[in-house]
Amino acid sequence: MNGYTGSILRVNLKTRKISTIDTKKYEMWGGGHGIGSAIFFDLVKDKAISGYDSGNVVTIMTSPLSGTLAPAVSGRTEVQGVGLQSYPVEWFTRSNFGGRFAGMLKYAGWDGIVIEGKSKNPVWIDIRDREVKLVDAKPLWGLDTWETQKKIWHRVTGLKSYKDWMEVGKSPRGERTTLKPAVLTIGPAGENLSRIASLIHDAGNAAGQGGFGGVWGSKNLKAISVIGSGSIHISDPNALMEARLWAKKSYSWQPGNLTDKLGSHAFSSNPSQGSPSTPGVKSRPSGCMACHKCCRRKTELGGNESSCVDMFFYCFEDAKKHGKQTTASLKASDLIQKTGINAFELETVIIWLKTLHKKGILGPGKEIDTDLPFDKMGEYEFVEKLVTQLETRQGIGADLHNGAARTAKKWGRFEKDLKSGVLALQYWGYPKHYDARTEVEWGYGSILGDRDCNEHDFMMPCYYSPSMNALAGMETYISAKEVSQIIAEKCKPYNDPLMIDYSDEGIYSEHMAKTVAWHRHYTRFWKQSIGYCDWCYADFVNPYAPGYRGITPEAEPKFLNAVTGKNLTFEQGMELGRKIWNLDRAIWILQGRHRDQEVFADFTYEKPQEGHATYEIPYVMTVHEKGKWKYKDVGGRILDRSKFEEWKTKYYTLEGWDPESGWPVRKTLKSMGLDYVADELHSHKKLGRG
Amino acid sequence: MSENGKKGFSRRVFLKLSGAAALGLGLDIGFARILLADDVVAIPVSQGYLLVDSKKCAGCMSCMLACSLVHEGKENPSLARIQVLKEPFESYPDDISIVQCRQCVNPLCLESCEYDALYVDTRNGNVRTIDPEKCTACMACVEACPFTPGRAVWNFEKERAQKCDLCANTPYWNEKGGPRGKQACVSVCPMEAITFTTTVPVQEGDSGYLVNLRGATWKELGYPTD
Repeated sequence: MNGYTGSILRVNLKTRKISTIDTKKYEMWGGGHGIGSAIFFDLVKDKAISGYDSGNVVTIMTSPLSGTLAPAVSGRTEVQGVGLQSYPVEWFTRSNFGGRFAGMLKYAGWDGIVIEGKSKNPVWIDIRDREVKLVDAKPLWGLDTWETQKKIWHRVTGLKSYKDWMEVGKSPRGERTTLKPAVLTIGPAGENLSRIASLIHDAGNAAGQGGFGGVWGSKNLKAISVIGSGSIHISDPNALMEARLWAKKSYSWQPGNLTDKLGSHAFSSNPSQGSPSTPGVKSRPSGCMACHKCCRRKTELGGNESSCVDMFFYCFEDAKKHGKQTTASLKASDLIQKTGINAFELETVIIWLKTLHKKGILGPGKEIDTDLPFDKMGEYEFVEKLVTQLETRQGIGADLHNGAARTAKKWGRFEKDLKSGVLALQYWGYPKHYDARTEVEWGYGSILGDRDCNEHDFMMPCYYSPSMNALAGMETYISAKEVSQIIAEKCKPYNDPLMIDYSDEGIYSEHMAKTVAWHRHYTRFWKQSIGYCDWCYADFVNPYAPGYRGITPEAEPKFLNAVTGKNLTFEQGMELGRKIWNLDRAIWILQGRHRDQEVFADFTYEKPQEGHATYEIPYVMTVHEKGKWKYKDVGGRILDRSKFEEWKTKYYTLEGWDPESGWPVRKTLKSMGLDYVADELHSHKKLGRG
Repeated sequence: MSENGKKGFSRRVFLKLSGAAALGLGLDIGFARILLADDVVAIPVSQGYLLVDSKKCAGCMSCMLACSLVHEGKENPSLARIQVLKEPFESYPDDISIVQCRQCVNPLCLESCEYDALYVDTRNGNVRTIDPEKCTACMACVEACPFTPGRAVWNFEKERAQKCDLCANTPYWNEKGGPRGKQACVSVCPMEAITFTTTVPVQEGDSGYLVNLRGATWKELGYPTD
């Protein structure tokens, strides 16, 4: 089994039984999410349980490419289970994180970990190659995520500094490594069962969405540590090496060849793309295992490994206060990583609290009483107080630890604040990201799923690049027509240029149904099962590549096949993605999903989009109007409720689902070998008709 | 002339001259060991060296994975002949170090080997390398390396020692390596934080091997170049 170790670790926290699952049983699903969903489906008989239920099963999965030289895929780990964050239903959900945990797990001999049950007392899991133990975590309980990791490193290695080779285990062969144990842990927020608590690895790798920190807390699971010394077998090492060099030469940023093409690009962006620099603070790029792009940053003063919203959630308040980003942002980022709180939720919470405070509804002695120092907004002091209250469930944190949606419900503000958009939770209680009124494939994909989808595939060429150029008063280096042609070439099997028509008509079209289907299937397999990083794939438009044609769909199977020796085609991967998407759909249906629930928050249908994204970048997108392609500002748009419902019918029909219910029909499931899933749905009277 | 008046090289002069050969000045050294006039056995210097810039490294470990891949046909950081040490909670610049074999002018690993397994490969630019057939797994070379972590690597899977050969022998990469070819770690590093030189680095301390590779592009990207 080249690329796989052959074993999945199974740990029952209640019985303390440690066993293995043969990876071969689930290999057909590829890896990562596909295997996680399949195991969840098999092991969890009642899927309509709460995320806090001891019967909840959490899977932590790698892929055949984890721990290999394949770029921007090697370091990702997929986490699944019933989450806590979504509202009103705690959907079966997913998150993932980068770093080096996935690789280390493979070197230790495991393709993944399945966590079942609830421990009586706090424990952590100590994995040293094939030796696995449950260890008392009482001494770690209450520690932040960084302190926890340092304590575990010391416990595992017996060392206080790590400059030398360390032996792994006690084998006479002398297995050794210079790498510290890779630890995934919760902080105080997770211990206190917060619905917006993250899992943290190293300094700033977070599985944030879904509330898995609280799930672990409910299981009394503090951390998993793994140190490994084994090898991953590669089918064609030369092909893997050459593929890596091919990607570097033809598709990547390299020192000395910086492009002047403005915009954010998937595979090829400059290092530290996701982490804004702080004036006067020295730094370096920081990358996950085997990444060629290294989108993060490490500085001399903090903010280490944090990127994107982990930084953005407070740096805008910081910049407003100080006229520039300061170390307050860096300290704020480190704080949420240490406490283990989801930055994306926190960003929206801060905006909401600010608005309520400004309206005189929230503050000392107000209707919503809080001692948060709003005069210190932008200073570290404000965010420190808010985060401390959140992690300890003190003050306003007694409510907010449950997430914004449930807090709004408790405060009696849910309906009105989601109607006005003051609280911008657009789908399933998750903060809006790229807006369902403008960049619709993002919103549609989210409401058809379980969470903010957070998949930047179409966002980069169709929104971000033209919008950044518009912001800078520049002409985008590639025309909208060329983008449509490139994407049509790359989006097998549809190959439809109108898939990126974000005009007022295009967003309700059958073409957009194909876009969303392609996106769902692509991400489910290639990104979430094989692990290709969202910030590098899909690579449609690439300023370094011949004809600006990015590395998708050549790269995805090229790296996978070099490692596994299989001859999987890109299209076969897409079909597996469709299968996984249908399996997930079945799980949600067993949790109660119906098409009637798949509606956005009212503000989406009633309030014009603000004209820009959260970070004040305009909404200029690719549109096809009157027979011509162009970039157009689509900000200010309202989503038409009835047209969206009609679009849903088109989408369900395209997927082979019953448009009345949104449930898959037997024929669809059978065509993918999911007869047993159809049987399960049928037994619950939830199989689509047709 | 050496101190005893006979024509020959002192150890120091020999090393200087053989270094000149590495610089391409024409002194062809076609042997692995030479008995010096002062009865010291010296060896020719390597004709190639890896230099690194730890301040430029992004910690992705691609160099380690490439090294393991082309030499062993497997992915295993523990088997890599170059290592990246990461301190996740330390701040820049104390958070990352690249540690590579120095192809020492005076290789203690070689001197420690009693079985002639560790030798100077004259066919590949005098790189210091290990003959796996002769290695007895005594680990003397692993212990003898004066640097931390040791640059002679214990391959616990094959139960023998191995070390950086500048990719002179990469059975799993169809590319000519060695001092006159390509090195996997140099080729793959996305930050270009590893480079190759034929010039003998200063042997005292780290300054000869730990260099500044951050140029104009690095500055343009907003990173420090000092």
